[in-house]
Amino acid sequence: MTVAPAHDELIIDSVPGLVAILNPAGDVEAVNDQVLEYCGEPLEAMRHWGTNGIVHAEDVPRIAPVFANAIASGVPYDFDARIRRFDTIYRWFRVRGRPLRESGGNIARWYVLLTDIDDRKHAEALLAGENRLLEMVANGESMAVILGEICRLVERTAAGCRCSVVLVDPSGLRLEHGAAPSLPDSFIQSIIGRPIAVDAGPCGMAACLNEQVIAGDLTTETRWASWCSVALAHGLQACWSTPIPSTAGKVLGTFAIYYDEPRTPTMQQQRLIEQVTHVASIAIERTQEAEALTRSEALLARVQQVSATGGFYWWPMTGEVYWSEQVYRIFELDPATPLTTELRQSRIHPDDLHAHQKSVELAMRDGRDFEYEVRLLMPDGSVKYVHSLVHATRDAEGSLLYVGAVQDVTPRRLSEIALSKVRSELAHVARVTTLGALTASIAHEVNQPLSGIITNASTCLRMLGADPPNVDGARETARRTIRDGNRAAEVIAKLRALYSRKDTTLESVDLNEAASEVLALLRNDLHTNLVVLRTEFAEGLPHVRGDRVQLQQVVLNLLRNASDAMSTVDERPRDLLIMTEVDHGNGVRLSVRDAGIGFAPDAAEKLFDAFYTTKPDGMGVGLSVSRSIIERHHGRLWGAANEDHGATFVFSLPIDTKV
Amino acid sequence: MAVIDDDDSVRESLPDLVREFGYAVEAFGSAEEFLASAQAGEAKALILDIALPGMSGPDLHAELGRRGRAIPIIYITAQSDDTIRPRLLDRGAVDVLRKPFSDRALQDALSAAFGAG
Repeated sequence: MTVAPAHDELIIDSVPGLVAILNPAGDVEAVNDQVLEYCGEPLEAMRHWGTNGIVHAEDVPRIAPVFANAIASGVPYDFDARIRRFDTIYRWFRVRGRPLRESGGNIARWYVLLTDIDDRKHAEALLAGENRLLEMVANGESMAVILGEICRLVERTAAGCRCSVVLVDPSGLRLEHGAAPSLPDSFIQSIIGRPIAVDAGPCGMAACLNEQVIAGDLTTETRWASWCSVALAHGLQACWSTPIPSTAGKVLGTFAIYYDEPRTPTMQQQRLIEQVTHVASIAIERTQEAEALTRSEALLARVQQVSATGGFYWWPMTGEVYWSEQVYRIFELDPATPLTTELRQSRIHPDDLHAHQKSVELAMRDGRDFEYEVRLLMPDGSVKYVHSLVHATRDAEGSLLYVGAVQDVTPRRLSEIALSKVRSELAHVARVTTLGALTASIAHEVNQPLSGIITNASTCLRMLGADPPNVDGARETARRTIRDGNRAAEVIAKLRALYSRKDTTLESVDLNEAASEVLALLRNDLHTNLVVLRTEFAEGLPHVRGDRVQLQQVVLNLLRNASDAMSTVDERPRDLLIMTEVDHGNGVRLSVRDAGIGFAPDAAEKLFDAFYTTKPDGMGVGLSVSRSIIERHHGRLWGAANEDHGATFVFSLPIDTKV
Repeated sequence: MAVIDDDDSVRESLPDLVREFGYAVEAFGSAEEFLASAQAGEAKALILDIALPGMSGPDLHAELGRRGRAIPIIYITAQSDDTIRPRLLDRGAVDVLRKPFSDRALQDALSAAFGAG
């Protein structure tokens, strides 16, 4: 480009931008009016840009060598630098210099174009800052650090401001400290703990109303007298507070910008505020979620420990198992050990293993929920009782997944065993005592007339043996002997009447309810005997009429028999089913089905003989008494061997028609 | 002597047997009845049931002691409690006979009572 110097001024003044002309040595020769206007300095000052602060001192060391190199080599240059405006604010410019060569190829002068890129620079810086903040959030940086960085980012971007973040405390009633890297501590202390209320200050108001509060001039502000005096005392004259919303729209806290002179936000600043409150919201929510998660995990772990309950996942198709720490603790295994089936089974008491495996297999086949209790045998020989509830569900891929809870019930079970032992001992003692008392009272009642009989007989003999014999006296004493004999017989008859309980109390009995009460009594024994109990009670079962306690004795007896019949069964689950149903419309039927040792088909009737028993230590009285009770209630009791295993005993009673 | 027992059979039969042994005898149904009678001051020996309605046999024994009436006592009882016999013997009973008892045992006890008296 060859242009007459005379035209230069004219041209550069009409260029829409800042233009400077340098001589071949790089000294400023001329600038256009826009430059003079922007800088508010005379041309002379431009010549010393490297030292007088027209170019930001931080940028000079970076650009000076580039500039010197370009001048020396005649290659065009292009860099960014901050240039001071008349109001002392630096703005970013892109500075591009190009040499103008004479026809001989020598450099005649340099044309320099300065383009204002401040807005773009800020947008870039803001974007980078935002990205850095999000990265910090993702990396799990602490909330205090992230909020502090948010404040600093805004302070860098909007020069001259100072920022703070206050948070809504867990009670939701007060403000607590978030971050304020550039505000005096004494000022922050005066804000935190203030109630979330419109009259507490701009932040309290913004949090309370969930809307932005702009206090552009605190010197004339009338809304928060006490807060204003504190702010003014710290040299703050403007405050803009913006609520930080959660994703659900709840107020998490507020972000505030302060200036030490009256000011209201520009559009650009409003956009900035919007951006950073969004990032702050992510940071706060993320931290609160993480805290809540940590807290709930810690709680769960504590609860598992306190309740001695562990949890597990089990994918039966792949055999994959996940145990919580507490399960390892119950099984006394190192969580680092791989969980093989063999390892798990090695802890199960050998006596229970077979039945346990069978019942689990059975439950798995149906894919239903199940429950089991099993004993564990520890390497030191100690025994633990664990109770497990298992729920069948599907995982995300649709595979069968069991979610289970395992509870160590050893202390409870041991005390129950001890208790039931004491109870049966007590029952024995009570029986013996009752028998003893009964014997004593029978003896007393019978001894009185016996005493009379013997005395009378002795007297009679003596009277007859006298000389002369006292026949009249002897006759009288003999008569008394007979009378006393009859009296003794009467005593016996009275006793029999007393203990045969002819006086049964008849009432309307709900068999479901009566049987449930018996089950409640017997549950321990069934547990101890590893019986898997199932109930199928018909709904709305009609009542029967009878002696509730006697009928319960029959149910108790049938359940005891069933449980006893399975005590030696280990090769299959000890399933016990108690069922009630309506029997042909005019009766009610209760059946007890076990998977025990059963009996031969031809033995069915012999079972009810008073002293017949299949139990090695049994007495055999139970079934015959049960049958006599049921027959006294006009019902029937019978038993039959099951097709596969065990036996079923059933009684049927007429429906109570008086209800 | 006196027989004190609340049981009708005993009260009817025992005096006859005692009479056969040659003693004069009167029967009472309770300790209170006995104390209210002339026999309380006259009887030389007692055949006394332990368990009586109201005042028991041993209570009567103690009451007589308080009145300065030290008379031999033969206890009779239908209870089968073995621990009571030594206690009553310690308190000075001549004998404790468990019902039903033989005429021989009674005769021995009566001899002891009057021998000691």
